[in-house]
Amino acid sequence: MNVGPVQRDEATTEFFDGTAAGQFLLRQCAEGHFTEPAATACSSCGRTELAFVPAAGGATLVSWAVSYGRPAGDEPPPRTVLAIGELDEGPWWWAQLDGAEQAEGPADGGDRLRVGQRLRLEFRRADGEYEAVPVFVLA
Amino acid sequence: MTELGRVYGQTPARFAADAVRLAVADAGLRLTDVDGLLTSSGMSGGISIDLQRDLGLTDLQLLSHLQAYGSTAGAMVQFASMAVQSGMASVVACVFADSPLQPERGAGAAYGTRRAPAGWWGLLGASGIVGANPMYALAARRHMERYGTTSEQLGHIAVAQRAWAAGNPAAQLRDPITLADHQASRWIVEPFHLLDCCLVSNGGIAVVVTSAERAAALAQPPVNVLGWAQRHPGHYLRRDPDFGLVTGAESAGPAALAMAGVSLADVDVAELYDCYTFTVLVSLEDYGFCAKGDGGPFVASGVLGPGGKLAVNTGGGQLSGYYMWGMTPLSEAVIQARGQGGDRQADAHDIVLVSGNGGVLDHHSTLVLGSAATA
Repeated sequence: MNVGPVQRDEATTEFFDGTAAGQFLLRQCAEGHFTEPAATACSSCGRTELAFVPAAGGATLVSWAVSYGRPAGDEPPPRTVLAIGELDEGPWWWAQLDGAEQAEGPADGGDRLRVGQRLRLEFRRADGEYEAVPVFVLA
Repeated sequence: MTELGRVYGQTPARFAADAVRLAVADAGLRLTDVDGLLTSSGMSGGISIDLQRDLGLTDLQLLSHLQAYGSTAGAMVQFASMAVQSGMASVVACVFADSPLQPERGAGAAYGTRRAPAGWWGLLGASGIVGANPMYALAARRHMERYGTTSEQLGHIAVAQRAWAAGNPAAQLRDPITLADHQASRWIVEPFHLLDCCLVSNGGIAVVVTSAERAAALAQPPVNVLGWAQRHPGHYLRRDPDFGLVTGAESAGPAALAMAGVSLADVDVAELYDCYTFTVLVSLEDYGFCAKGDGGPFVASGVLGPGGKLAVNTGGGQLSGYYMWGMTPLSEAVIQARGQGGDRQADAHDIVLVSGNGGVLDHHSTLVLGSAATA
């Protein structure tokens, strides 16, 4: 499974500096509240002075979905598991769940994923001059 | 409404102008009677307050472009009603049009265009989350895991709405389907099969809002706007304990019903925004037609569809009728409240509940409409 290409812009410079160094940068206010990386104000108290703080990398599974690509010839369509993970710091993140394509069998078969399952953040990069993209893997 | 569906060669602005002309004529009014215009557009854009110029409307007392995604149609009617109540305007046309479909290109391509791969949006796309399908699938999966809702239960909604569509000449898909057809349709994003997902349509729909006094003297049976509310929870792409479980309908529904002076038991027809089967299920729960979490067994009990206990999405909705954002449930609500539903007309149709839903269950509007008998 591959992540797609993405480039930084003004709003994501620090975040992608973080992913390049293997860090997932959350925002944290003076009260210690954590907020999603894209936030410009603390979701708990509204403070706008937010520090960049690396997440520890652990998360639990909130929900998931399996996206189907276009089939090539007689091959089955490629499947990508997408997930919402609740980071141990509190904020949620939306990313691929790498390595779970087999665990989440079609419909009701196979060993199904379950809410609360432990995840870990890793980073993948598309071929070319692109930024590193966070993904979840099963911990 | 204009011709809807795979109608090619017209811009959204042209569809919008045609829709306003048709709605004004349908009401028995002339364009020169219109003194308020509210416009809205879909993902292909192309509509603005320039529609005034296209229609040759002069000396308008109200003109605005609204965008609250799928809740816009309801929001326009609310704004128009307040404008009429306040005396700001007397005849307000509210229009939506879109033409995402192109010839020689699949419907899936209409909304699948990846945004420029940069910044936060680029990161979401690079992560495989493109368009609404994955986000709603994540919402539905959460509901399934929490309450035991199944794909088969969602399928009952698709089957019931297709049965209603058979009676709607304007519906794009009218051939009956079975639960087995639903289950056999290809996966789009699990847990959604193709038949869990709405259509893509070109076209335009407009409604005209005026005072009850004036409406009584016009060409069509009046439809009263009895109550309304909006809710915008504000958790998009943020931690949200309610994600996939509770929508803005939970609080907007009672507020709109209270304003109308009616209770849920008085609702004869419900036209619910149905971008996906799941949206119908969670809306039924939030409005209180069944208990929270019981939506699956409720829709599987045979309550939906022609002859069922609850008349829901009587024109086939966005799943089988046509996809005109919030104008899909609103237009069918007006048809039902007027008693003009033909083969699909609900016997009781005095109180009609209309929902709008935009974003990923992020923006909600409710309207409570009444037939002429409720005046």
